[in-house]
Amino acid sequence: MSDLLEAVDEAAALERLHELGCTDGLPVVIPTPPRVSRMVLAVGHAGEAVLGEMGPLNGVCTVEKLSVAAVMAGCLPDHMPVVVAAALAIMDPEFDLAEMQGTTHATAPLIIVNGPARQMCGVASSYGALGPGHRANASIGRAIRLAMINVGGARPGTSDMALLGHGGKFGQCLAEDEEHSPFSPLHVGRGFGATESTVTVIGTEPPQSVAHTPGSDLTESSERLLDTLAGSLTAPGTNNAWLGGGQAVVVITPDHAGELALAGHDRSSITASIAERAHTRDGRPAFRSTDDVVVVAAGGAGLYSYVFPTWCAGGHRNRAVTRIVEIGQACAIPGT
Amino acid sequence: MRDAINVALRRIPAVALVTDEFWAQGDFIAASFGMPDVPRVRLPHPIAGTGSENHRIVAEKVAAEIIDALEMLR
Repeated sequence: MSDLLEAVDEAAALERLHELGCTDGLPVVIPTPPRVSRMVLAVGHAGEAVLGEMGPLNGVCTVEKLSVAAVMAGCLPDHMPVVVAAALAIMDPEFDLAEMQGTTHATAPLIIVNGPARQMCGVASSYGALGPGHRANASIGRAIRLAMINVGGARPGTSDMALLGHGGKFGQCLAEDEEHSPFSPLHVGRGFGATESTVTVIGTEPPQSVAHTPGSDLTESSERLLDTLAGSLTAPGTNNAWLGGGQAVVVITPDHAGELALAGHDRSSITASIAERAHTRDGRPAFRSTDDVVVVAAGGAGLYSYVFPTWCAGGHRNRAVTRIVEIGQACAIPGT
Repeated sequence: MRDAINVALRRIPAVALVTDEFWAQGDFIAASFGMPDVPRVRLPHPIAGTGSENHRIVAEKVAAEIIDALEMLR
């Protein structure tokens, strides 16, 4: 059981949580026992069931503790399958969570949702998917951050040493727009079935917007787009250009995805083309494998795609981890 | 600090060299691994990228302290 705090009312409880450093600096929903119990029921496993350990504190992440974070973040019970899968992903050793939480670099989990869970949990994939206005995206990403703070023990300046941090450290979550993508879904490319639901999580820098206007020569234009994406991923100040050997994310918006598809590209040829063009400052290939470029189709119509360089450090170079989202595990929740 | 803990867990004497700015983080990591007394020596910050001459000066200042910390592990 988690420790219980007592307060005269919810306003006092909120101030106490702020004082204890248990929030991300914004108001939270007070995790009262009834609210937490509803979230535990939505997971469908016992509250004391252990999901793993979160560094650097090496705190034991139980279903109950993750449910506390989800309540505080404003999640709905329907969001819990994605929250659980994302938590399991960041606790996978390949994610290098403890090292990532402690680094001076600005890195934060980017949660990418694929499969039917996108609709079941209401995770947005189009306009502003990484910005304000989408409850599932905002609260799922925030739940993971609050778990990293309260279970993983990340506190600015003592255990989270990010020199400045960035907005994505409050939470980064989006779905792939599989319905409008000309490419096979990300999770299928990573070995999962099209009807399975997954989260793919990777620690990233803030995104860099990549502007591209199409030209009349389709081949020239698509090659120029791939050059620009690769060049943006390996801008001189990025760790992908400095250290190399890590991974990175490219979010291709619909207009750019359409252009690449018309030019004959698919997911694997895009990752191969970007990996081939991306080099470190001293001329080495920036990526060890074409799989190290994670391509996601999402966003609204227009001239900008996004690239997310990564930290490229830690024992596993903070690799992307994909986990199945278990749907249908929830117990009946009273009153719903 | 994590490196020193990993080395110490192999029963090899280890002293962590931690700069001023990361001293509190070192304490946190040592405590979270249940090894709050892992020996550590404080270095000025920054040390990375300050050149070999400065590294030599700092090393001369802290060498005795490092040796003392290792002696304590006997």
